[in-house]
Amino acid sequence: MSTGTGTTADANTTRAEASDAELTELRTSVRDFLASKADEAAVRAAVDSERGYDDKVWAQIAAELGLPALALPTAYGGDGYGLVELSVVLGEMGRVLLPSPFFSTVVLAATAIVASGDTAAAERLLPGIAAGTTTATFTVPGRAGSWEPDAGTLGVHVTGSGSGTEVVLEGTAPLVVEGGTADVVLIVADSPAGPTLYEVDLTTAGATRTTLRGLDLTRRIARMDFWDVPARLVGEPGGAAPVVARVLDVATTALAAEQVGGARACLETATAYAKERMQFGRPIGSFQAVKHKCADMLTRVQVADAAATEAARAVDGVPASPDPGVAAAVAHAVCSEAFMAVAAENIQVHGGIGFTWEHPAHLYYRRAKASQLLFGGPAVYYERLLHRAGV
Amino acid sequence: MPSEPDDSGMDQFVAEARAFLDANATRAHTSDEVVWGEGEDRITYFSTDPPEVEAAKVAAAKAWQKVRYDNGFGWITGPSEFGGRSLSSLHDLVYDGLEAEYDVPDTAVLSLIGLGMIGPTILAHGTEELKRRYLPAMYAGDVIACQLFSEPGAGSDLAGLTTRAVRDGDGWLLEGQKVWTSVAHHAAIGLALCRTDPDKPKHKGITAFVVDMSAPGVDIRPLRQMTGGAEFNEVFLTDVRVPDDHRLGPVDGGWGVALTTLMNERASVGGEGAGAAGRAVGLPFLTELLRANGRLDDAAARRRLAELYADQAATEYLNHQALRRFRAGRQPGPEASVSKLMYAQNLTRGAHLAAEIVGPRLVADTGEWGTFSWTELLLATPALRILGGTEEIMKNILAERVLGLPKEPSIDTKSPFRELRRLGRAEA
Repeated sequence: MSTGTGTTADANTTRAEASDAELTELRTSVRDFLASKADEAAVRAAVDSERGYDDKVWAQIAAELGLPALALPTAYGGDGYGLVELSVVLGEMGRVLLPSPFFSTVVLAATAIVASGDTAAAERLLPGIAAGTTTATFTVPGRAGSWEPDAGTLGVHVTGSGSGTEVVLEGTAPLVVEGGTADVVLIVADSPAGPTLYEVDLTTAGATRTTLRGLDLTRRIARMDFWDVPARLVGEPGGAAPVVARVLDVATTALAAEQVGGARACLETATAYAKERMQFGRPIGSFQAVKHKCADMLTRVQVADAAATEAARAVDGVPASPDPGVAAAVAHAVCSEAFMAVAAENIQVHGGIGFTWEHPAHLYYRRAKASQLLFGGPAVYYERLLHRAGV
Repeated sequence: MPSEPDDSGMDQFVAEARAFLDANATRAHTSDEVVWGEGEDRITYFSTDPPEVEAAKVAAAKAWQKVRYDNGFGWITGPSEFGGRSLSSLHDLVYDGLEAEYDVPDTAVLSLIGLGMIGPTILAHGTEELKRRYLPAMYAGDVIACQLFSEPGAGSDLAGLTTRAVRDGDGWLLEGQKVWTSVAHHAAIGLALCRTDPDKPKHKGITAFVVDMSAPGVDIRPLRQMTGGAEFNEVFLTDVRVPDDHRLGPVDGGWGVALTTLMNERASVGGEGAGAAGRAVGLPFLTELLRANGRLDDAAARRRLAELYADQAATEYLNHQALRRFRAGRQPGPEASVSKLMYAQNLTRGAHLAAEIVGPRLVADTGEWGTFSWTELLLATPALRILGGTEEIMKNILAERVLGLPKEPSIDTKSPFRELRRLGRAEA
């Protein structure tokens, strides 16, 4: 895909835009790659591996496909595209439930770095992320898994030692996406100036990382314990709130694209099974009870797809799009609900076989529920939607 | 929108349309702001107007359509030899968008059935003479058309219709009963599907006719709806004579004609944002409803409001997506059918949410603004899941045509129509 097909002038950056044909081409190349490298057997092998993902596939995604660079700023080794393009990639990854540090690194961490406005941090970290040589993650260690950076409630805080931009952290971040393997964590911690973003180099610093037993087998979560761990300030002291707001808009929109990919896979699997499974002398898909279930799944997937697409356009600032905060919140709610419902119905269409460990249906069900709850769950995302809509 | 074609002809068209609208209509006062307790306390979906008010509205609709037509905006996509403008559907869409900014009479009585469905059918299947005779008159607002399709025994299974047409010299005699016929009481013509050969399978013995609604033997009786109003009718046809030159398409080829009509059926029954009902279940109005009733901090009410708003917004985004596909010249997906299902569900949920907030004041009219008025919408919503194809039929269509799921085995598509009733009874 060539950059500069069309550009929209933003305040500070120029965003590259892919044409419809280029988006289709991107989708095809990612889908073909994943079909050969991340079929069900490969995904299950990665799930059972020590790191939880296949290092070789990750290296190829970076070196051969250049995907981590796709939506990063051109000034730091990226291609300068936006969420519209990134959504295509995430949709395909979600479709096969690719275990990978892509979401934590490219979506969570890189967005936090860019949103912080800290050019030194960007120069330090983004080229490695773009090249795929650095994996990273981002976490807000709020109470009960909350991503709200409320002062005084965070599980990690700055200690008295350290000075200037070099500080020392202590505390616990209980739920860090791909935290067990990341090279760097961007973390929001309580400081005297209020919640502040810091960078911790996990390859040298002494954070203790414990990979947790997870509901979602294809995306790992770790606890990070900090005890006198050196960290570096990113952005302004007390400046985490707008960074977190931006990350949530981008990450929920990116997650929505991934959820749509997973939901579509469930719809396609259920439909294929309804066509081939014979009972009472005919395919079960000819019975309206099953047929209407599939139609309901299709309806949810179509609406979710539209919501994810609109949110990506809005967050990218495409003209004539709705407010990005509203569109992202709509997409997060609608795509979370849709993926969950479709993943559950997929099991019902399959009957007993869909309840077995061997069948992939449970992998999608697990991902659907974990994704729905990752940033707080329904109680949080519906309130966020009302808040963003001004209610 | 980056994919919008750069079309200098379009700029010219827009300027022309703008000039026409400025000269003939006033700009609508559009504001999302809701002032609770102000304005008319009505949440209408179907009309419940008394006859004289309805007649005045029909006259206004015809008059505005005439003005549109005389200025080249009455049939933007139609061929110029029949009074059209020979422009693209995109021009049509652009014009609709512009006109929505003005305060103009609602022309649904003409456009929903007649101009939207019957006109394209006559254009596709009519003889030159029939097209010349009716199309300009329809698009000039002089002739309202209705759709004589459904029957008491043929609803979702339209091809099971039994209204007969029998040859009578150089014409035909029609005999039977139609039902759910919207706007029949205003219509000058109707497009009727009739059984012409009961010895052929059910889809293959049907013929379409253009019927003069004032002909002897046409008896139109209003059907009162559960809302109290009467927007549709029963139409009894008793030995109604139709000349053969009013036949549409070949003898026994009426099913193909019907498919043209059904394909033109506006799958989106109406823009969700449009009209009093859409506004009433929109976020700003429902928020004020909650506020006025002291429920804005009620977690349960907020949750229901948010769930509804998420689906409403996503349905709107789906319409944007369909529009982008359309503008890019791509094949339409299933967006329209999905949008129709969502629209009906969203409006229904909105009405029930409001009912819960209003509570006992919906049971009887206390006279308080913004309470009992919800009954109109509440009573209208069941129809949305039936009209224009029931929810069940829509789901069959999505599952079979989009997902490719197999049809149910049927006994009735190959046997002669005459034998179907006997077969059905034998099965039972």
